[in-house]
Amino acid sequence: MTFAEVLRANQSMVFSLAFHFLRDPGAAEEVAQDVFLRLHQKFDELEGPRHATFWLRKATSRRAIDYVRKRGSRATIALDDIAEPSSAEQPGDPLLNRRLRQLIATLPEKPRMVMVLRYQEDLMPEEISEILEMPVRTVKSHLQRSLAMLREKIDRSLGDIR
Amino acid sequence: MEDFERQLRNALARKQEPPTFEAKVYAAVAAQRSGRGIFWRWATEGAAVVVIASGFWMGYQHENQQRAAGEAAKARLEVALRITVTELSKIQKTVRTSTEDE
Repeated sequence: MTFAEVLRANQSMVFSLAFHFLRDPGAAEEVAQDVFLRLHQKFDELEGPRHATFWLRKATSRRAIDYVRKRGSRATIALDDIAEPSSAEQPGDPLLNRRLRQLIATLPEKPRMVMVLRYQEDLMPEEISEILEMPVRTVKSHLQRSLAMLREKIDRSLGDIR
Repeated sequence: MEDFERQLRNALARKQEPPTFEAKVYAAVAAQRSGRGIFWRWATEGAAVVVIASGFWMGYQHENQQRAAGEAAKARLEVALRITVTELSKIQKTVRTSTEDE
């Protein structure tokens, strides 16, 4: 396993985690670069590709949450103004996708990261609990509450359109 | 619920990183390496300066100590000579007195 292989295999994952959490392509790139720089420093301590992926998910989550906390009340980009990075394929309704991403961006930090790890990376609550160092019970509770809130808001938006 | 979760997976599908991303990571790694190189060069040169300066300082201290010891020895010798001269004067005076008496 070389650094170049790990970078190539995981750069889209790291960038997307940061982007879906921060909703700011520039900030996401900055966070993702910083994460890979740290990976380079710690590379000798990693035990293989799976460990590297786990480490990257954990470091990206932590770094993205720190970024938001440090940024604090500074002006953020309006959600509608965000230029979406390209994706290999964009299944589903683009408008609904966009609306869902906007609603996820309104969630508090921890539940937002739980949602991104669950639905971007398709991770189970147990895996998310290890990455975010929180009890599985808390992960499940964040998921249930966030899903209920999103469903309600989406239903209300659709009702307004009808 | 499954349909809604599928919609969420679609919405949060992975995005493509910017085309220059990989190059920027390598540039950052290289900058970090050279930064670390500069740090070690400065640290080595700094350590060399400290070693040389402490060598000079120790030499200066040693010289000072030797000079002080020499001066102390000279002072002791002067005292001893003064005592000797005084004693010799006394003896001379005694000898002269006894010769005159005879």
